[in-house]
Amino acid sequence: MVSPVYLIAGALGGAFFLGMLRDQWRTACYLVTLAVLALTSWLAADWTWALASGATETVEIMTAGTPSPFAVNLRLGIAEAVLVLLINLTGLLSALYLRDTFFQQGRRAMAVLLIFVMALGGIVMTRDLFNLFVFFELVVISTGGLVLLSRDGRSLAAGFKFLIASQVVSILMLVGIIFAYHATGSLNLDSMAADAALLLKGGALAFFLIFIAVIAELKVFPANGWALDIYESAHPAFSALVSAGTGSATLFAVDKLLMIGGAPWMTIASAIGIVSFVGANLFALAQRNDRRLLGYSSVAQIGLMLLVAGQQDVLGEHYLLVAGGVLLAHAVGKAGLYWLSGLVVGRDLPAWAALRGQPLLLFAFASFIALLIGLPPFPGFYAKWELVHTLAGEGRLLLLGLLLFGALLEAGYLFRWFGYAIKREQPPEQIAPSLYKRLVIYVAVVAAWALAWLWGELSPQANLLLATPLLFALLFLPLEWLPAKLKNSLAIGGLVAWFLLSYPHYDPLQLIFGAIILVGGALVLLASFQEKGRRPGFYPSAMLMYAGLAILIVADDTFTFFAAWELLTIGSYFLILRGRESEPHALSYLVFSLGGAFLIFAGFAAASGGNPLFQLDGLQQLTGPLAGWVFLLLAIGFMTKTAAIGLHIWLPGAHAEAETDVSPMVSGILLKAGLFGLFMLLINMGRQEFYGIDLTHAMLWIGALSALLGNLMAVFQEDAKRLLAYSSIGQMGYALFGLAMMNHLGWLMALMFVINHYIYKSMLFLSVGGIAKRTGTRAMFRMGGLISLMPLSFIAVLIGIIAMSGVPPLSGFGGRWIFYNAIMTADYKLPMVLIFLSGPIAFLYLFRLIHTIFLGQLKDEHRRIREAPFWLILPQMIYVLFLMAFALVPGLALRHVDAYISNFLPDGALNWEGLTITSEFGYWSPVSIMIIIGVIFMLLFAWLLFVNRRAQKVKQFNIVYAAERPYRPETTHFAWNFFAPYRKALGFLTWPLFERFWGGIIEMLHTLADLLRRFYNGNGQVYAIQLLAFVVIVYLFSQGG
Amino acid sequence: MALIAMITGFLLILIGLYGALSNRNILRMIVAFSVANTGVNMVLVAVGYMKGRTAPILDEAVPAAEAASRIIDPVPQALVLTAIVIGVGVTALMLAYAYKLYQSKGSLDISKHTELKW
Repeated sequence: MVSPVYLIAGALGGAFFLGMLRDQWRTACYLVTLAVLALTSWLAADWTWALASGATETVEIMTAGTPSPFAVNLRLGIAEAVLVLLINLTGLLSALYLRDTFFQQGRRAMAVLLIFVMALGGIVMTRDLFNLFVFFELVVISTGGLVLLSRDGRSLAAGFKFLIASQVVSILMLVGIIFAYHATGSLNLDSMAADAALLLKGGALAFFLIFIAVIAELKVFPANGWALDIYESAHPAFSALVSAGTGSATLFAVDKLLMIGGAPWMTIASAIGIVSFVGANLFALAQRNDRRLLGYSSVAQIGLMLLVAGQQDVLGEHYLLVAGGVLLAHAVGKAGLYWLSGLVVGRDLPAWAALRGQPLLLFAFASFIALLIGLPPFPGFYAKWELVHTLAGEGRLLLLGLLLFGALLEAGYLFRWFGYAIKREQPPEQIAPSLYKRLVIYVAVVAAWALAWLWGELSPQANLLLATPLLFALLFLPLEWLPAKLKNSLAIGGLVAWFLLSYPHYDPLQLIFGAIILVGGALVLLASFQEKGRRPGFYPSAMLMYAGLAILIVADDTFTFFAAWELLTIGSYFLILRGRESEPHALSYLVFSLGGAFLIFAGFAAASGGNPLFQLDGLQQLTGPLAGWVFLLLAIGFMTKTAAIGLHIWLPGAHAEAETDVSPMVSGILLKAGLFGLFMLLINMGRQEFYGIDLTHAMLWIGALSALLGNLMAVFQEDAKRLLAYSSIGQMGYALFGLAMMNHLGWLMALMFVINHYIYKSMLFLSVGGIAKRTGTRAMFRMGGLISLMPLSFIAVLIGIIAMSGVPPLSGFGGRWIFYNAIMTADYKLPMVLIFLSGPIAFLYLFRLIHTIFLGQLKDEHRRIREAPFWLILPQMIYVLFLMAFALVPGLALRHVDAYISNFLPDGALNWEGLTITSEFGYWSPVSIMIIIGVIFMLLFAWLLFVNRRAQKVKQFNIVYAAERPYRPETTHFAWNFFAPYRKALGFLTWPLFERFWGGIIEMLHTLADLLRRFYNGNGQVYAIQLLAFVVIVYLFSQGG
Repeated sequence: MALIAMITGFLLILIGLYGALSNRNILRMIVAFSVANTGVNMVLVAVGYMKGRTAPILDEAVPAAEAASRIIDPVPQALVLTAIVIGVGVTALMLAYAYKLYQSKGSLDISKHTELKW
């Protein structure tokens, strides 16, 4: 093996050699630069491989032929090798990226880059304190040079502010070093660690000065104004290097110091880290400049890594996995985003809409964001899993809460930005066509996914990238060029095949959910056949959601469950975002869902007692107040997904603005994930008390209120899809109510709702979607009289609302029947009254679907419209048949479920003999009901035909207009504000209190961020004063604590 | 002797820092930082000083065999040399920046260069 000293000597030699070349030989100089960086990268890669595979051991490199501490020594272990590799590779890629700039600036700039990369490697490898200082100063000087590569004139001021701060830092550091040397008689870090007691006693202030100087080099919040200016104004390739390289190297230096400082200093590091993470993420909310936003995000991520470094004593053997996961994910993600920003011309966030139409770059954007947030399957996800479990196990709950809050803020602003890229108007400037720059970005994407795989292998958890459903979803990425119809067939085939493969292993509960997700999903996908073209982005997103769902229902351990939960959340976010007007709604969906997901995460972590390999059935063992807390966290998390009242504000927009075939997926299928979670929770934990409150009782109330208010809000909608969306809130309320009753029939009813809601909500969303497609509007008062033009849609809607309203003979009645039996055995009367009340309210809005859309006068402009497209009608007709069949023989499915529920709640099972179902209160015979209703209907219908036999048909315009056409049709249209009297009476119940509450919180966070960030007033001198104040404050805290 | 040097060093550091943080003129700030750096170097040297010993140069006057008992600690001396070199580099860079900043805005007032903020 080549000695690692060449990592430093090579770059140094290269830089000197560049000085000997003529400045005009730009190509030669550039090639030398690339060759040197390629060589050092290869060397680092070689060592990484050798160290990782165990072929060689950590090496100590003695300089000057003398052992340490008499001469400077360097060390190369696996951590050092990985970091040096990261730094050199980033340097190489940035050099590629900077090609044009380098050709303009000449060899000097290239030499400075080499020195910069070399110095970063030196920071990582050196074991000598003063040598560390020298390398830091080299980084400072070369940074001062490289900042000027930017074409942004403001970078000049940024560079100077940086130098001011660096001067202050270097003074602190030198004074610290000399006194530390005085206390221990050595500059060698390992000797100092051995003499740590001596140093920390006599030279505590000295150590503090060194420590705080290195922390300041990390650019932690809030003593980092100069750093943000550099991030904003420097060349993006250099910002990438600063973020990935300087940040990582400096963190490693902090780690070396913590080795000396021990536990008390780890606490300080953790405190600075978490303040940095939350604070910088909060400030980032108010950013409009992309690079400054990335700068804030870098500061936050560095804070996170500092937190990890501060927790190394409790992380134990997982430390490298966690620290490495967060660090590499951040390095690749942030470097990638900076490189990407170099292609975008505009600097405000919506300018990134220029990426639209560039599927590869968009994929890169999404991958980098996921990498930063730590979504599965990227390394940050595994790392956060271990970290959060450790924090929970140690009882560091405040840290845990702040960590998740900061992560939610970060996800919020990053995904908002992604939403801009997908939805905002494209700027006139095209993105830069440079091939080199793209190449660099693609390398980062490959690295991102390779890391995802690697971390899956390294972590004790299952490798998510080996999960077949996820792989199947990812398979659609390389198939994006295929026509949509082909991909659709493949997707349907995949879903059905996975169901056939899996169903022998499902228990009855899983079977019901599995059938809805996989077979039901395939059925909904039939509607997607009507889309033409390639439909880019749809299939990876949809299949990601289905993959998450499919993994979710078979998950045994909390890790798989949570990973699946995040996957389905992200997949469905991308799906919802596709709707034309859905940008804000998709974001609100995502923020609520991730917020809920983090509660689930916290709940799992708390339940596990710090064991990251916790099984779901371990929830059964929990007792005492902990059980109450876990139940509360998990239940709120799941109820976010079912849009229980109070957490529902994301649903109407997300479901209504989604595309025609997406609405049934996210409503009919996706909502069931929340119900599945609640089933899982109740099966494992049963009733739980929380400081004397019966939590299932609380859920009962929430369910009843959701049913009542959801239905009431649906009544006052003019938009048909919104009406259906609000009705889902009510329907999920029923299911929640059933579950919370905690008796046999309640659960059976909840499952009945799972099936029924899937069928009729999918069907109605498809019919209404088809009608909206034909009429070009979703406002019901703009429709009317469509019965003769769209008869099949009419049948579907009619059957759908009969089923939903719970009147005989369809399956909704069965649901009601079980429901009424269930509540007769329940103890709670008042919520029951609410549930009863919401029944008739549902009639009000369901009636409007038929009345306003299909009956009455046909609108003039709709005279020529046709029935909805075949592929939309086909699944609806299948649903109609299925509803009929399910109404006739509900026992086929429910009997098994009934038996299954008896495992948990044995009392009150139904009797399924023959075609009649018997409870203790009565019986239900679906077939006879169907026959009776059928006979009555036929009789009445025949009577109607008979009395109308001589009626004369009157055409619509066979009347006399007495006045002109009204200017605003809706104001005079009787179907507009149809239930005005009810609105007067009950409208106060639908005041958007929760919207205002959540909106107020968001508004407050943004105002706070916008106000507080003025702290960075742009004056370099003020920044230096802030830095000194930071040092003093940390010192006081460290003395006080 | 060492004590005086050290106190002077720290005084210089404080004076330098005060100067750098209270003067808006960029050139004055750079000069002030140089003063502070000199102070740091004095502190460094003072820490390594031992009463009654000679410079760590091995020649006829100080044979290698007796070096350990006759010379002062050579490490701070080496550090100071390095620190001076680095200080020169940083100062030069800052001066170059000052020149460029003056070219760009015609002003050496640090509070005039604040387009980047928040």
